[in-house]
Amino acid sequence: MKAALIGAGQIARQHLSCLKSLPGVELAAICDVSPATAEAAAERYNIRAWFTDYRVMLEEIHPDVVHITTPPTSHFRLAMDSLDAGANVIVEKPATSTFDELETLVRRAREAGRHLVEDYNYVFNDAPKQILQRISSGQFGPVTHVEVLICLNIFGPSGFADPNSPHPALTLAGGAIADFLPHLASLAHLFVGPHRTAQTVWIQRKPSLLPFDEFRAVIDAERGTAALGFSSNSQPDAFWLRVYGERMQATANLFETRLTFDRPRKVPKPLRPFFSSLEEGKTIRRAALTTLLRKFKGPGAYEGLWKLLACTYRALADGSALPVSARDVLEVNRMVEALKPKGPRL
Amino acid sequence: MKALVTGANGFLGRRVVEALLARGFEVRAMVRPAATLEEIDWPASVEIFRADLRASHELQRAFDGVDVLLHLAAVVSGGEDAQFAGTVVGTERLLDAMTTSTCRRLVLCSTLSVYDYSSTRRTLDEDSPVHQASDVYARDGYTISKWWQERVTRCFVEKYSWDLTILRPGFIWGRDHGYLAAMGQRLGRHHLVVGPLTRIPMTHVENCADVFALAATDPRARGQILNVIDGPGERIWSYVSDYMRGSCQPGWRVPVPYCLAILAARLAFATVFRCATKVPSILVPRRLESRLKPLRFENRRLREILDWTPRLNYQECLVRTYGPPAPGVAGG
Repeated sequence: MKAALIGAGQIARQHLSCLKSLPGVELAAICDVSPATAEAAAERYNIRAWFTDYRVMLEEIHPDVVHITTPPTSHFRLAMDSLDAGANVIVEKPATSTFDELETLVRRAREAGRHLVEDYNYVFNDAPKQILQRISSGQFGPVTHVEVLICLNIFGPSGFADPNSPHPALTLAGGAIADFLPHLASLAHLFVGPHRTAQTVWIQRKPSLLPFDEFRAVIDAERGTAALGFSSNSQPDAFWLRVYGERMQATANLFETRLTFDRPRKVPKPLRPFFSSLEEGKTIRRAALTTLLRKFKGPGAYEGLWKLLACTYRALADGSALPVSARDVLEVNRMVEALKPKGPRL
Repeated sequence: MKALVTGANGFLGRRVVEALLARGFEVRAMVRPAATLEEIDWPASVEIFRADLRASHELQRAFDGVDVLLHLAAVVSGGEDAQFAGTVVGTERLLDAMTTSTCRRLVLCSTLSVYDYSSTRRTLDEDSPVHQASDVYARDGYTISKWWQERVTRCFVEKYSWDLTILRPGFIWGRDHGYLAAMGQRLGRHHLVVGPLTRIPMTHVENCADVFALAATDPRARGQILNVIDGPGERIWSYVSDYMRGSCQPGWRVPVPYCLAILAARLAFATVFRCATKVPSILVPRRLESRLKPLRFENRRLREILDWTPRLNYQECLVRTYGPPAPGVAGG
């Protein structure tokens, strides 16, 4: 299967490293508006062709799959043209700037008999997978509520708040935080399904280039409720996922390998916290080591992206169900749309 | 003569502006849009041009009336991709703008890091091998981006027949920049001094700036690649001592033979870190070599071609770096 990639920036490195490791996948071409960036990526990953014009690349290479890893506002045009060229599309989140654009893309993919996959990499990390296993085995009980909170300092001068070179994500509704909404929405969707209603709070706590630096939402979904949040001010950086079931609760930090479960125990009630804490402490100590080793080996916190890509290519090759379906993409983006700020700043 | 200096408010850039003024140049200083210049004591004749090489659409205007470009701007912090975008893509955009101007002369600030230390034996000079495309990507983001910056610049120079001088400074030091990566590994207040008798290829910022101004003026510099170091360099052991004394940071110096350090790094790399993405440089053999390999560093070509000798000797540099600031002098 021939793969091509448009946009050789930071996240492209993860896509390329993963693609090099997948059997049956040929990395056929890479494209970037900067010739040096495209050529450097081609050299590093041993890609036989590089381009600065994606239309020329689509015409000459005829890829089976196009990965779009450019800034979000460019995704729509690139994805449309890739679908029109007969390729399946794997697009970085957020797939489009607006829900209308996304619907158009999904429709075009269906008409063309091709697939559109948006990268919900954290859904495929080890911790959510382990929680899902316990849910499907019945140990966890039905999920009642999920909390997802990202704490991430995005004020750094070389990141979203660079006063010299405005980050492309700042043009999205919600600014830099909008770049993370698909992560929050895809995890909520995974555990409690499509949303019915959403209430949001968007705040600018500190004066900066960012229109908002704090975000909270409460969601009523088909299978439960969700509380989502993004904090640019709380430290240290963390990606908390808490899932509440009728028989068990799970807590994970997706930036690390930490995953703990708590459950009622067959011990006198006053002793339950004692035994739970002992077990939790043991798990956290083990996670300290595995988190360190994960940094030294492989894709680190991007482990989910590697799994998503591997599953997607396998499904495309054998015609089985994709790990992220068109329905998933529509439902997650409908939730993302509901989370976006609507009125003036609070 | 009018010079355009990119990265003009940086540690080296501000000294280069002063050195150019001293040689009678008119200077247009390119600084980033959000740069604060209050602490910089340039005369009013210095024309400030605000632009970011990654994003500005005004770069062509920067070359109006310019005779020589001194390209010092580079991104030296952040991840590998941020450094590549800032340094390499920025250079592409800058030189693309230069093609529309009458400017044909360019002095590029590169680095000794582009040399392949692993293949170099005993003495590193301008004839030493530089990295090849097959091995450069195993290096750190700074090396990759500076190596690519040279490559991009050579492409433009070849295509448009410009006059190019590449200057490759060693460790540039000066006031508030006394700490050098060549000093080994800092552990709190203490230092593991790897290869304590190795000499550091160092150049004081004022001496280095003098070379840039000279290269912009002197026709003998055209078409040359010159390593910029002040001389044979101080031994790491004694420089760490001067640094600790000068910066009032007393601590212990623990000597570690280079052969032991490289052996440990190779062992760690072969067993644990081969696929690692986030490992301290001191544990990556090729990166360790480029910081600490015991080589002799030569500035013979700089002396012979440009008749250059450093204006300040080591003792004077120490006073400039760690002594009380001279009246009316801001920074380095």
